[in-house]
Amino acid sequence: MQRHRSAMLGALAVMLFFAAWQAIFLVVPLNPLFFTTPEQIAAGFIDLVESGDLLHDLAVSAVPFGLGLLAAAIIGVPLGILMGWRVRIGYALDPLMTVFYASPLVALAPLVVIFFGVGMSGKTIIVFTLAVFPFIFNVASGVRAVDRLLISVVRSLGGREWDIYLKILFPSVLPYIVAGARIAVGRALIAVLVGEFFAASEGIGYAISRFGDIFAIDRMFACILTVMVIAVVLTEGIRWAERAAFPWRASQ
Amino acid sequence: MADQALDLNIDASAGRFVTPALRQRIESIAFGTATIALLLVVWELLPHVLPIQRGTRLFFTVPSRIFETLWQMFATGTIWAPLGVSATAFAIGLALAIAAGLPLGILLGRSTTLNAMFDPFVTAFNATPRLVFLPLLMLWLGIGLWSKVAVVFLGALFPLLINTHEGVRNADKLLINVVRSFGASGWDVARLVVIPNSLPFIVVGLRLAIGRAILGVVVAEFFGAQDGLGVVMVRAASSFDVNVVFAGLIVFAALSLVMTGLVKLVEDRMSRWRPQRAENE
Repeated sequence: MQRHRSAMLGALAVMLFFAAWQAIFLVVPLNPLFFTTPEQIAAGFIDLVESGDLLHDLAVSAVPFGLGLLAAAIIGVPLGILMGWRVRIGYALDPLMTVFYASPLVALAPLVVIFFGVGMSGKTIIVFTLAVFPFIFNVASGVRAVDRLLISVVRSLGGREWDIYLKILFPSVLPYIVAGARIAVGRALIAVLVGEFFAASEGIGYAISRFGDIFAIDRMFACILTVMVIAVVLTEGIRWAERAAFPWRASQ
Repeated sequence: MADQALDLNIDASAGRFVTPALRQRIESIAFGTATIALLLVVWELLPHVLPIQRGTRLFFTVPSRIFETLWQMFATGTIWAPLGVSATAFAIGLALAIAAGLPLGILLGRSTTLNAMFDPFVTAFNATPRLVFLPLLMLWLGIGLWSKVAVVFLGALFPLLINTHEGVRNADKLLINVVRSFGASGWDVARLVVIPNSLPFIVVGLRLAIGRAILGVVVAEFFGAQDGLGVVMVRAASSFDVNVVFAGLIVFAALSLVMTGLVKLVEDRMSRWRPQRAENE
């Protein structure tokens, strides 16, 4: 009941917001150079969908996004396991990785763009650089949180090394990998946008900045709202999957 | 394994200062420093070992030259003007985010109705990289201080708001009822229970907000600014002055590490008596 009420109130607030937005320009004169209405945004959105531009730009952005994230997971997860499992490797790499994680690595984007160009490879590398650290740190803390007692139990019942990895390490670390992926997705979105704002000839980030340059506010908003919806669907989708697959962690 | 245990026993029985915990600490610091030092040395020696192609040489640099550039920037004072510009945007944006985020967080934490109404907006804005609004903000606020401030504000607002909200909501209902039944007013409840309870959460929010704010300054200056340290870095990158780019990165990273480290100290002091925390990124 309570959840039902919340969802209703939320939907109501969103509708109210757009209605108020539409209504305010009945009173205030609309300056189409700087403002737009939901109606025009919807028209712009339909326009972009029908011409296929939006899908094309999204597809162009999706490739470096996906490849960068994949590479980040492939490198980050084993590195995190290594850092969590072998205490001394953890000691050795922790400070270095912390420095990288805490520093605004987007600042390297201009160099990456100059070195690798404005195409897919440059963007993929920016995505990878930003997205790899959430994987490393989450997985490492996941491995450190593994119940030592369980390992002893498997050992004393005659389990092999392989059993420890498969039956204890993997199931206990999996929720941490997913949580890392959730943070990594957010950072990967930033990375794609940075790469495309900088210098690109296509992609959703490029579309937003180009529509801004030519004062096509309606289409610019249509693209911004599309990015917002994608971001919410991705992060909330992973959050939902976390709750569904690892209910015992939901309380944390 | 057995060796180690025996070793530690001897340590303890001899009454030395090197306890296992201290030894672990020394080991962690030594290993950590060694890796960073090793990385720097290998990087420095790389051009002496591997032949670097002429094209790559344009982009290649070694740590000693980066630190020399950094030193030069401070010695000649060229860094202060752009750094000041960046710091101003950072400070105004963060201050505005605190001024707006704390009251809003408290409000949403106290009222379930308001919370339900604002939740879609908070979720949407928090999930979306604020960078996506930059072209729009540049259009509205122009290229300069205020579009930067707006990006910093939007970045820092949500960690503060969400953590404050979490802290207020987690206030012990029993304590509130006790204070109430002793005749406390709404303000007394806030002062005695809600605010002390949410402080550790707010501090966590502040730490995340600082990171977001620095990111906001850097990114906003890359695209929509005329001066600031980020602008210096972009200009250097386009004229292949790699040393300046790395020097700028080091300055931003150092500021970020120092500020979040300070907040972390406060945080650890607070969580000494309060184990629960809200982490939200």
